[in-house]
Amino acid sequence: MEYATIEREIYVEAAPEIVFDVVSSPEHVQEWWPDEAHYEARPGARGDLVFGEHGEEGSPLVVAFDVLEVEPPHTFSFRWTHPHGEQPVTGNSLLVTFALEPRGSGTLLRMTESGFREMGWEAAVLEQQYRDHESGWDFYLGRIAPYVEKLDVRP
Amino acid sequence: MSPVDDALWSAIGDPTRRRMLDLLLAEGHGTATTLSDRLPVTRQAVAKHLVVLDRVGLVSATPSGRERQYRLDEAQFARAVAQLHEVGSAWDARLQRIKTLAESIQKQADQKQADQKQADDKKKEKD
Repeated sequence: MEYATIEREIYVEAAPEIVFDVVSSPEHVQEWWPDEAHYEARPGARGDLVFGEHGEEGSPLVVAFDVLEVEPPHTFSFRWTHPHGEQPVTGNSLLVTFALEPRGSGTLLRMTESGFREMGWEAAVLEQQYRDHESGWDFYLGRIAPYVEKLDVRP
Repeated sequence: MSPVDDALWSAIGDPTRRRMLDLLLAEGHGTATTLSDRLPVTRQAVAKHLVVLDRVGLVSATPSGRERQYRLDEAQFARAVAQLHEVGSAWDARLQRIKTLAESIQKQADQKQADQKQADDKKKEKD
Protein backbone atom coordinates (compact mmCIF):
# COMPACT_ATOMS: atom_id res chain seq x y z
CA MET A 1 0.00 0.00 0.00
CA GLU A 2 1.32 3.40 -0.90
CA TYR A 3 1.37 6.23 1.54
CA ALA A 4 0.45 9.84 1.24
CA THR A 5 2.84 11.74 3.43
CA ILE A 6 3.24 15.25 4.70
CA GLU A 7 6.88 16.12 5.29
CA ARG A 8 8.33 19.14 6.99
CA GLU A 9 11.69 20.15 8.36
CA ILE A 10 12.64 23.08 10.51
CA TYR A 11 15.89 24.26 12.06
CA VAL A 12 15.72 24.90 15.80
CA GLU A 13 18.41 26.82 17.64
CA ALA A 14 18.40 24.47 20.63
CA ALA A 15 20.16 21.23 21.58
CA PRO A 16 18.60 17.95 20.34
CA GLU A 17 17.94 16.93 23.97
CA ILE A 18 15.79 20.02 24.47
CA VAL A 19 13.96 19.66 21.15
CA PHE A 20 13.32 16.00 21.89
CA ASP A 21 11.78 16.92 25.20
CA VAL A 22 9.56 19.52 23.54
CA VAL A 23 8.21 17.13 20.89
CA SER A 24 7.79 14.12 23.20
CA SER A 25 6.87 15.08 26.74
CA PRO A 26 3.12 15.55 27.33
CA GLU A 27 3.74 18.70 29.38
CA HIS A 28 5.37 20.36 26.37
CA VAL A 29 3.16 18.78 23.71
CA GLN A 30 0.11 20.43 25.23
CA GLU A 31 1.88 23.77 24.90
CA TRP A 32 2.13 23.48 21.12
CA TRP A 33 -0.79 21.24 20.18
CA PRO A 34 -3.82 19.96 22.14
CA ASP A 35 -5.26 21.51 25.26
CA GLU A 36 -4.37 18.38 27.19
CA ALA A 37 -2.02 15.48 26.43
CA HIS A 38 -2.47 12.31 28.46
CA TYR A 39 0.18 9.66 27.86
CA GLU A 40 3.52 8.38 29.08
CA ALA A 41 6.49 8.89 26.78
CA ARG A 42 7.44 5.23 26.53
CA PRO A 43 7.01 2.73 23.67
CA GLY A 44 3.58 1.09 23.67
CA ALA A 45 1.97 3.60 26.02
CA ARG A 46 -1.68 4.32 25.21
CA GLY A 47 -3.21 7.69 25.82
CA ASP A 48 -5.19 10.51 24.32
CA LEU A 49 -5.20 14.15 23.32
CA VAL A 50 -8.01 16.48 24.35
CA PHE A 51 -9.05 19.39 22.19
CA GLY A 52 -11.42 21.63 24.14
CA GLU A 53 -14.70 22.63 22.53
CA HIS A 54 -13.95 20.86 19.24
CA GLY A 55 -16.32 17.95 19.81
CA GLU A 56 -20.06 17.81 19.30
CA GLU A 57 -21.92 20.85 20.62
CA GLY A 58 -18.78 22.36 22.05
CA SER A 59 -17.81 19.39 24.19
CA PRO A 60 -14.12 18.42 24.31
CA LEU A 61 -12.86 16.22 21.48
CA VAL A 62 -10.81 13.28 22.76
CA VAL A 63 -8.48 11.65 20.23
CA ALA A 64 -6.60 8.39 20.73
CA PHE A 65 -2.80 8.67 20.86
CA ASP A 66 -0.41 5.70 21.10
CA VAL A 67 3.34 6.04 21.54
CA LEU A 68 5.56 3.91 19.26
CA GLU A 69 9.26 4.84 19.40
CA VAL A 70 11.00 6.83 22.10
CA GLU A 71 14.71 7.10 21.35
CA PRO A 72 16.11 10.28 22.85
CA PRO A 73 17.37 12.47 21.35
CA HIS A 74 16.84 11.00 17.85
CA THR A 75 13.34 9.65 17.26
CA PHE A 76 9.85 10.03 18.66
CA SER A 77 6.87 8.52 16.87
CA PHE A 78 3.22 7.91 17.59
CA ARG A 79 -0.07 6.93 15.98
CA TRP A 80 -3.24 8.92 16.51
CA THR A 81 -6.88 9.27 15.40
CA HIS A 82 -7.66 5.52 15.61
CA PRO A 83 -10.98 4.50 17.18
CA HIS A 84 -10.75 4.44 20.97
CA GLY A 85 -9.83 1.04 22.35
CA GLU A 86 -8.59 -0.27 19.01
CA GLN A 87 -5.01 -1.21 18.30
CA PRO A 88 -3.53 1.50 16.06
CA VAL A 89 -2.44 0.07 12.71
CA THR A 90 -2.02 1.17 9.13
CA GLY A 91 -5.49 1.97 7.88
CA ASN A 92 -7.10 3.24 11.07
CA SER A 93 -4.63 5.89 12.22
CA LEU A 94 -2.10 8.52 11.21
CA LEU A 95 1.57 7.88 11.90
CA VAL A 96 3.68 10.86 12.99
CA THR A 97 7.46 10.62 13.26
CA PHE A 98 9.82 13.25 14.58
CA ALA A 99 13.45 12.68 13.58
CA LEU A 100 16.15 14.88 15.11
CA GLU A 101 19.70 15.54 13.95
CA PRO A 102 22.34 17.80 15.47
CA ARG A 103 23.07 20.64 13.06
CA GLY A 104 25.60 23.35 14.00
CA SER A 105 24.70 24.62 17.43
CA GLY A 106 21.10 23.50 17.02
CA THR A 107 18.86 20.74 15.72
CA LEU A 108 17.31 19.86 12.40
CA LEU A 109 13.82 18.60 13.17
CA ARG A 110 12.03 16.50 10.56
CA MET A 111 8.35 15.66 10.85
CA THR A 112 6.43 13.22 8.67
CA GLU A 113 2.78 12.35 8.94
CA SER A 114 1.47 9.48 6.85
CA GLY A 115 -1.60 7.35 6.48
CA PHE A 116 -3.99 9.77 4.81
CA ARG A 117 -4.70 7.57 1.82
CA GLU A 118 -5.39 4.59 3.96
CA MET A 119 -7.81 6.51 6.11
CA GLY A 120 -9.82 7.99 3.31
CA TRP A 121 -11.44 11.35 3.28
CA GLU A 122 -13.77 11.17 6.21
CA ALA A 123 -10.95 10.85 8.68
CA ALA A 124 -9.37 14.09 7.73
CA VAL A 125 -10.40 16.79 10.05
CA LEU A 126 -11.14 19.41 7.54
CA GLU A 127 -13.21 18.17 4.69
CA GLN A 128 -15.97 20.63 5.36
CA GLN A 129 -13.71 23.61 5.46
CA TYR A 130 -13.67 24.61 1.85
CA ARG A 131 -15.36 27.86 1.15
CA ASP A 132 -17.32 29.35 -1.67
CA HIS A 133 -14.68 29.09 -4.32
CA GLU A 134 -15.59 31.70 -6.89
CA SER A 135 -12.57 33.68 -5.78
CA GLY A 136 -10.82 30.95 -3.88
CA TRP A 137 -9.31 28.80 -6.56
CA ASP A 138 -6.22 30.77 -7.41
CA PHE A 139 -5.56 31.25 -3.74
CA TYR A 140 -5.82 27.57 -3.00
CA LEU A 141 -3.90 26.43 -6.03
CA GLY A 142 -1.02 28.76 -5.32
CA ARG A 143 -0.74 27.50 -1.81
CA ILE A 144 -1.43 23.86 -2.36
CA ALA A 145 1.38 23.14 -4.82
CA PRO A 146 4.15 22.78 -2.23
CA TYR A 147 2.00 20.40 -0.22
CA VAL A 148 0.88 18.31 -3.13
CA GLU A 149 4.44 18.00 -4.41
CA LYS A 150 5.30 16.30 -1.16
CA LEU A 151 2.65 13.69 -1.59
CA ASP A 152 4.54 10.48 -2.02
CA VAL A 153 2.00 8.80 -4.25
CA ARG A 154 2.33 7.32 -7.66
CA PRO A 155 -0.45 6.98 -10.21
CA MET B 1 -11.37 3.52 3.74
CA SER B 2 -12.95 3.13 0.32
CA PRO B 3 -11.40 2.48 -3.08
CA VAL B 4 -12.74 5.81 -4.30
CA ASP B 5 -10.89 7.70 -1.61
CA ASP B 6 -7.67 5.91 -2.43
CA ALA B 7 -8.11 6.78 -6.06
CA LEU B 8 -8.78 10.42 -5.28
CA TRP B 9 -5.43 10.76 -3.52
CA SER B 10 -3.71 8.99 -6.33
CA ALA B 11 -5.49 11.11 -8.95
CA ILE B 12 -4.32 14.38 -7.49
CA GLY B 13 -0.84 13.06 -6.75
CA ASP B 14 0.18 13.01 -10.42
CA PRO B 15 1.84 16.17 -11.84
CA THR B 16 0.34 15.84 -15.34
CA ARG B 17 -3.14 15.46 -13.92
CA ARG B 18 -2.61 18.47 -11.68
CA ARG B 19 -1.65 20.54 -14.72
CA MET B 20 -4.77 19.31 -16.48
CA LEU B 21 -6.84 20.39 -13.51
CA ASP B 22 -5.12 23.79 -13.64
CA LEU B 23 -6.02 24.16 -17.32
CA LEU B 24 -9.62 23.13 -16.74
CA LEU B 25 -9.82 25.64 -13.91
CA ALA B 26 -8.39 28.43 -16.01
CA GLU B 27 -10.40 27.74 -19.14
CA GLY B 28 -13.58 26.30 -17.71
CA HIS B 29 -13.61 23.24 -19.97
CA GLY B 30 -11.50 21.19 -22.35
CA THR B 31 -11.29 18.07 -24.49
CA ALA B 32 -8.49 15.53 -24.74
CA THR B 33 -7.39 17.33 -27.90
CA THR B 34 -7.40 20.88 -26.55
CA LEU B 35 -5.67 19.79 -23.36
CA SER B 36 -2.96 17.82 -25.17
CA ASP B 37 -2.24 20.91 -27.30
CA ARG B 38 -1.20 22.66 -24.11
CA LEU B 39 0.75 19.80 -22.52
CA PRO B 40 3.89 17.87 -23.45
CA VAL B 41 1.97 14.59 -23.66
CA THR B 42 -0.03 12.83 -26.35
CA ARG B 43 -3.78 13.05 -26.79
CA GLN B 44 -4.00 9.36 -25.88
CA ALA B 45 -2.17 9.95 -22.60
CA VAL B 46 -4.43 12.90 -21.78
CA ALA B 47 -7.49 10.79 -22.55
CA LYS B 48 -6.28 8.15 -20.07
CA HIS B 49 -5.67 10.77 -17.39
CA LEU B 50 -9.17 12.16 -17.98
CA VAL B 51 -10.62 8.72 -17.34
CA VAL B 52 -8.79 8.60 -13.99
CA LEU B 53 -10.04 12.07 -13.05
CA ASP B 54 -13.57 11.22 -14.15
CA ARG B 55 -13.60 8.01 -12.13
CA VAL B 56 -12.89 9.89 -8.88
CA GLY B 57 -15.37 12.66 -9.64
CA LEU B 58 -12.83 15.44 -10.17
CA VAL B 59 -14.13 16.07 -13.70
CA SER B 60 -17.35 15.32 -15.55
CA ALA B 61 -17.88 14.93 -19.27
CA THR B 62 -20.57 15.85 -21.79
CA PRO B 63 -20.51 14.65 -25.43
CA SER B 64 -19.45 17.40 -27.83
CA GLY B 65 -19.35 16.35 -31.47
CA ARG B 66 -16.84 13.52 -31.82
CA GLU B 67 -15.18 14.34 -28.51
CA ARG B 68 -16.12 14.69 -24.89
CA GLN B 69 -16.07 18.07 -23.21
CA TYR B 70 -14.67 17.94 -19.66
CA ARG B 71 -15.34 20.28 -16.78
CA LEU B 72 -13.92 20.36 -13.30
CA ASP B 73 -16.16 19.26 -10.45
CA GLU B 74 -15.41 22.12 -8.12
CA ALA B 75 -16.89 20.64 -4.97
CA GLN B 76 -14.88 17.46 -5.24
CA PHE B 77 -11.74 19.34 -6.14
CA ALA B 78 -12.23 21.71 -3.22
CA ARG B 79 -12.36 18.76 -0.87
CA ALA B 80 -9.06 17.43 -2.10
CA VAL B 81 -7.32 20.77 -2.05
CA ALA B 82 -8.69 22.07 1.22
CA GLN B 83 -7.85 18.93 3.08
CA LEU B 84 -4.26 18.78 1.95
CA HIS B 85 -3.79 22.47 2.50
CA GLU B 86 -5.21 22.45 5.99
CA VAL B 87 -3.29 19.43 7.17
CA GLY B 88 -0.05 20.90 5.87
CA SER B 89 -0.53 24.36 7.30
CA ALA B 90 -1.64 22.97 10.66
CA TRP B 91 1.74 21.24 10.95
CA ASP B 92 3.56 24.40 9.89
CA ALA B 93 1.96 26.23 12.78
CA ARG B 94 2.72 23.42 15.24
CA LEU B 95 6.37 23.22 14.20
CA GLN B 96 6.72 26.98 14.54
CA ARG B 97 5.46 26.70 18.12
CA ILE B 98 7.87 23.81 18.80
CA LYS B 99 10.74 25.97 17.53
CA THR B 100 9.79 28.97 19.66
CA LEU B 101 9.33 26.83 22.76
CA ALA B 102 12.60 24.87 22.40
CA GLU B 103 14.60 28.01 21.67
CA SER B 104 13.25 29.80 24.72
CA ILE B 105 14.09 26.78 26.91
CA GLN B 106 17.61 26.74 25.44
CA LYS B 107 18.02 30.46 26.16
CA GLN B 108 16.90 30.01 29.74
CA ALA B 109 19.36 27.15 30.18
CA ASP B 110 22.17 29.22 28.67
CA GLN B 111 21.29 32.16 30.91
CA LYS B 112 21.24 29.97 33.98
CA GLN B 113 24.65 28.60 33.09
CA ALA B 114 26.04 32.10 32.52
CA ASP B 115 24.66 33.31 35.85
CA GLN B 116 26.14 30.30 37.60
CA LYS B 117 29.53 30.95 36.02
CA GLN B 118 29.41 34.59 37.07
CA ALA B 119 28.54 33.59 40.64
CA ASP B 120 31.37 31.05 40.67
CA ASP B 121 33.83 33.62 39.34
CA LYS B 122 32.83 36.11 42.02
CA LYS B 123 33.19 33.45 44.66
CA LYS B 124 36.68 32.65 43.38
CA GLU B 125 37.63 36.33 43.56
CA LYS B 126 36.47 36.51 47.17
CA ASP B 127 38.38 33.35 48.07
